[in-house]
Amino acid sequence: MTTPTTFKPVSAPRPGENSTLWLIKIATGPVLVLVLILHFTVNHYLGSMSSGLMTYDDVIQYFQNPIIPAIEILFLITVVSHCLIGLRGIILDLNPSRSVLNITTWALVILGVSSVVYGIWLALTIASKSV
Amino acid sequence: MTEKWNITLRVSRQKDTENQHFDDFKMEVNPDEYVLDAVERVWAFMDRTLCYRHACHHSTCGACGMRVNGVEKLTCITPIRAVTSNGATLKVEPLRNFPVVSDLAVDMGAFYRKMEVVSARAVLPITEAEIENPATNWPQNDAQFLRLSDCLECGLCISACPVAATSPEYLGPAPLAAAQDVGIHRNPELLGIVDCEDGVWRCHSAFECTAVCPSFVDPARRIMALRTQVIGAKLGKLFGKA
Amino acid sequence: MNNQPSANKFWAWFNPMGRQVGGWAFILNRITALGLTFYLFLHLIVLNQLAQGPAAYGGFIALTENPIVKLGELLVVAAAIMHGLNGIRIIFTSFGIGVTRQKELFYGFMVVALVAILFFAARMYMG
Repeated sequence: MTTPTTFKPVSAPRPGENSTLWLIKIATGPVLVLVLILHFTVNHYLGSMSSGLMTYDDVIQYFQNPIIPAIEILFLITVVSHCLIGLRGIILDLNPSRSVLNITTWALVILGVSSVVYGIWLALTIASKSV
Repeated sequence: MTEKWNITLRVSRQKDTENQHFDDFKMEVNPDEYVLDAVERVWAFMDRTLCYRHACHHSTCGACGMRVNGVEKLTCITPIRAVTSNGATLKVEPLRNFPVVSDLAVDMGAFYRKMEVVSARAVLPITEAEIENPATNWPQNDAQFLRLSDCLECGLCISACPVAATSPEYLGPAPLAAAQDVGIHRNPELLGIVDCEDGVWRCHSAFECTAVCPSFVDPARRIMALRTQVIGAKLGKLFGKA
Repeated sequence: MNNQPSANKFWAWFNPMGRQVGGWAFILNRITALGLTFYLFLHLIVLNQLAQGPAAYGGFIALTENPIVKLGELLVVAAAIMHGLNGIRIIFTSFGIGVTRQKELFYGFMVVALVAILFFAARMYMG
């Protein structure tokens, strides 16, 4: 008996769908853990408000050290990449059609790039202010 | 004297276009009997229309997988004592993520096709069987002896996998474990089949497959080992050692 | 026919019934992933207040004294800690480390997470 022609191919390789995104997610994860330890300690523990959050002056002071905007921008790029690759993975689990998946991918790329551009502008704006 | 329990077997029923509903069957059982024995008793003495799959009764054929009180079990080796108590209700349902043909019987066709696509081995040289002695303990000439693969193709892992619940195209635990068993080094075509969106990267490490596997496949561990194989093969290609 | 995989069954991802330790870890990871994704973009938008000067930011940050907002902040910190530690477990097991001990790894990491969450909760609520 021959295989019915209505059968779709099983697990066919597709361009762009391989280990790359998974590896980026896996590589950004530990970076995020390290940066988050710093982020939470500074922003939610050492701040001068009673809850440990930072006041406006705390933030401006903190950003005076040039390494801080650099770390925050690294944090932004890794967190946005990790987050949106993860979100795409969840959407992939919803078994979207090829065209919906393509639109989703581009929407996520645009969202990611614009978030990073906005975030870099914000970090540099804060760094340029003085106490 | 044989111990006797009175239980209520609550069986999922579904014929043709019916919605799923449950029928209760009260019966006396020996708690050391197996869940499949209780299901068969319904068919033999109470309701000849009950439909279910079974064959070997000794965990080789993989046909009698069902959900017992919500958890995937191979019913021929699941003692009633292990899943309920005297006077209680025992619920049996068909496996998840497979179309129901009738009552407890599901259509495993798509799953078998996936096993075929990865060239799953039904038998393998005894020297390669992980459940036996470590491979190094076998005399090399024993490689002529074959044994059945650990995977029974029962589908419990597919039923338990949360990703398989929404993704019909995802290869799923048993086929990915079979791909790892075959090995990309033996069959380089497997690289394209598993290194794609329906393949090894879709696993989100819920480990439910390994938790329900009634054999010694440990699909989750094999999926992780397959990832290493894929990365190794790709690095090999990158550096011209393919 | 029915019972086959379908996108409509996405609720099955979050159903802890009939799941075991690894499955609960998956549920926790997926819920925290979605929550943190939502929070990330909210956070980026809200931080625009910093660019607008001390009055705008000061007015916004005063909201964090509200107990409900404070609880939300703690939930975000807790979600990030749990997601991060569980992520490390997934990386370990993905490379074959502790793959047969994934349950113990999960319990271990969640104990660490609990201690870290209590540490931040104490700072937030007790100064």
